Amino acid sequence: MTPRYNFAFLDEDTKRMLRRALLKAVAIPGYQVPFGSREMPLPYGWGTGGIQVTAALLGPDDVLKVIDQGADDTTNAVNIRRFFSRVAGVATTEHTADATLIQTRHRIPETSLREDQILIFQVPEPEPLRTLEPREAETRTLHALADYGLMHVTLYEDIAQYGHIATSYDYPVLVDGRFLTSPSPIPKFDNPKLDRSPALMLFGAGREKRLYAIPPYTRVESLAFDDHPFEIQRWEHQCELCGSGDSYLDEVVVDDRGTRMFVCSDTDYCSGRRVEAQA
Amino acid sequence: MLTAFADPVFDSQRTFRELLQAMARPAVPRRLPVVPPSPAAVAPEAMAILLTLCDAATSIWLQRPDAEAVDHLRFHTGLRLADQPQQADFALIDDPASMPALACFAHGDPRYPDRSASLIVQVNGFRTDGGAHFAGPGIRDAERLSVEGLPSDFWQQRAALSTQFPLGLDLYFVAAQQVVAMPRTTRLLEA
Amino acid sequence: MYVAVKGGEQAIARSLELLAEARRGDTAVPELELAQIREQLRLGVARVMQEGSLYDEELAALAIRQAAGDMLEAIFLLRAYRTTLPRFGYTRPLDTSAMRVRRRVSGTFKDIPGGQVLGPTYDYTQRLLEFDAVSVTPVTPADAPLPACMPRVLDLLDAEALIERIEPGSDPEPIDLTREPLTFPADRATRLQNLARGDEGFLLGMAYSTQRGYAENHPFAGEIRMGEVDVVICPDELGFPIEIGSITLTECQMINQFHGGNGTPPQFTRGYGLSMGEGERKAMSMALVDRALRCDELAESSHAPAQNQEFVLSHSDSVEASGFVQHLKLPHYVDFQAELSLLRTLAAQQTADTDETPRSIAGGAQA
Repeated sequence: MTPRYNFAFLDEDTKRMLRRALLKAVAIPGYQVPFGSREMPLPYGWGTGGIQVTAALLGPDDVLKVIDQGADDTTNAVNIRRFFSRVAGVATTEHTADATLIQTRHRIPETSLREDQILIFQVPEPEPLRTLEPREAETRTLHALADYGLMHVTLYEDIAQYGHIATSYDYPVLVDGRFLTSPSPIPKFDNPKLDRSPALMLFGAGREKRLYAIPPYTRVESLAFDDHPFEIQRWEHQCELCGSGDSYLDEVVVDDRGTRMFVCSDTDYCSGRRVEAQA
Repeated sequence: MLTAFADPVFDSQRTFRELLQAMARPAVPRRLPVVPPSPAAVAPEAMAILLTLCDAATSIWLQRPDAEAVDHLRFHTGLRLADQPQQADFALIDDPASMPALACFAHGDPRYPDRSASLIVQVNGFRTDGGAHFAGPGIRDAERLSVEGLPSDFWQQRAALSTQFPLGLDLYFVAAQQVVAMPRTTRLLEA
Repeated sequence: MYVAVKGGEQAIARSLELLAEARRGDTAVPELELAQIREQLRLGVARVMQEGSLYDEELAALAIRQAAGDMLEAIFLLRAYRTTLPRFGYTRPLDTSAMRVRRRVSGTFKDIPGGQVLGPTYDYTQRLLEFDAVSVTPVTPADAPLPACMPRVLDLLDAEALIERIEPGSDPEPIDLTREPLTFPADRATRLQNLARGDEGFLLGMAYSTQRGYAENHPFAGEIRMGEVDVVICPDELGFPIEIGSITLTECQMINQFHGGNGTPPQFTRGYGLSMGEGERKAMSMALVDRALRCDELAESSHAPAQNQEFVLSHSDSVEASGFVQHLKLPHYVDFQAELSLLRTLAAQQTADTDETPRSIAGGAQA
């Protein structure tokens, strides 16, 4: 551990501020709580919200897993894990099942989560209405009134133009039938995992200074229409490493003739399956 | 002067994690890992919550602003006392039978429903083998809970508030080294 | 055969070694000392302190050296250190009328009590590169010392009631933007705090736009002053004020025309800028943008970017902007894959619509 910094970097006043905000976030599912986001030693846009949430939660008994794009070994995930090893000295793992806290960017692990685990999302833009209405004063009012017509119209315009809803990630959800919420830029493939999850899910947007939460066993609906139900991505391929036919796949270009192969985005899930297959 | 948490950093952290799970899984009693010394007017469980969440940035309304309790809280947390329930971020209720109406506390602003009070209510005990059924976010099917020592119209008052959602109040009941959280979303199911 | 990419941890370790080597440069050249940076790059130090929100010349110099002269990186380093510092208290408001002035100019009056004082400025240097080492000629002493206290130029107009009056103490207690989130609409104290931390280049561009017709408000540089100001605290346990040191500040008060409105007669109005150290460009830019952002309160029409507080305040911070722009270099494989899959579906559908025999699609298909 690096001396001269408090446990998990943040001072205790800051942790208390975050903890109060997190409790309110859980009490009002899907609602964005403004918080006094601090300047972290990692850049805004690189997970400062998730890092602050993790720092407010972390204790010496925790086992931390950090993933980016589903993988433990992407450089930013490695860097965040390294940061917490350095400032909190906590145990880290790459195994989803062994972790108590999982900080993630852009994916939900394929392995089902348990009640004793907490998933922490890094969020670049917490406001699902932001691209439709840039003014915060206005979007706050729309949430207060539960006026989400703007979003429905936009999705329906997609259907009129393309025959499909043309949103493939960061697909908006309605939490407990009330707040329109950004699931963070996870592919819509992962949206069903948000619904009635046994694990608590916390979301931190550092640059935008907002926190929100989806409590366990909470109804999370991806927006859809009666004649255009919500559907997730599917592949004609299976993972070429583990053979999985039901996980989210990364497309990899393997030679200069543009040959592609498809492999699991969740590296722990994939290697676990390969170990099982060999046993 | 009594002491507070023996290990402020880790005792707060462990207590917070239980509070977070309590709020995420309403109506289920959870054991608080640390109960610090506290003056007579404040239950040790309530003191654990206040030490974990309060500081100079928060205000509290005390149902019984007893001098010893005030000095102790000010010394260990630096929190500010609120004269009126409406102004407080937190409220400590040590005698639920004579507590003010729930409508007296801050419920938040329609654009900022988080600017609402959290009540810490010292009750006589919990039973999970009987009592009312509760449902809502954080509860898979339903939880049974009976909270002992609340005023008779407490649940009616709370149900009346629920029509204002997302405005509302969040509750922490404490007794016997346990805490039960009840966010504004938890519904009491009619029998 | 493809194997899942591994080795992120090693790659980072190697990258840090390369960075350390690049930062030091040729080891035959002596390493910069912090005192050299503090003394000879003082304007850079001032900018890092100002936008880093921490008045500490030594730490700012350290940050500049560590950042290899990248000012935005140095500001980020200082901010990240600043967050971890405990707060012992808040100072009394700084009294810039009691500034020990080293420079003071006004664009509104030919002569003013205390006079125009050029002080050390680049304004009249003619910008010819000095190829020879700088030789310091002894400074010629002034005939008489500057007056100990110079009245503010705007106070002279105040006596005639031609300029809006802002009563001391009439402002609400400001929030601390480094501890509380920015919410809208933001009051003037909050806006000024945001602008004070804002990126000089961003503010300069915004200020410039107000002069080019985007929120024209006819500014005059009422006064720009630079010098030392005492920092005073009044601890509860003492109950009386004590001076804990002095800092260098640059203050700019702009005077702007106002045609009247909201029940106020025509009068001059104020735009305000303040910067740590010698930061004249920053203070002047800030004053212009501050005035533009007062459009609602003064019932002026607002149509220009510099008048839009959500636009200005949400995009002024270099640490936020730099992080988010540069986060695009992080992997986005998952979302890109989702978009690829969607585009292929749409393309396949279009082919099917125009052609009876759809081509087979490489890669994913949307169910």
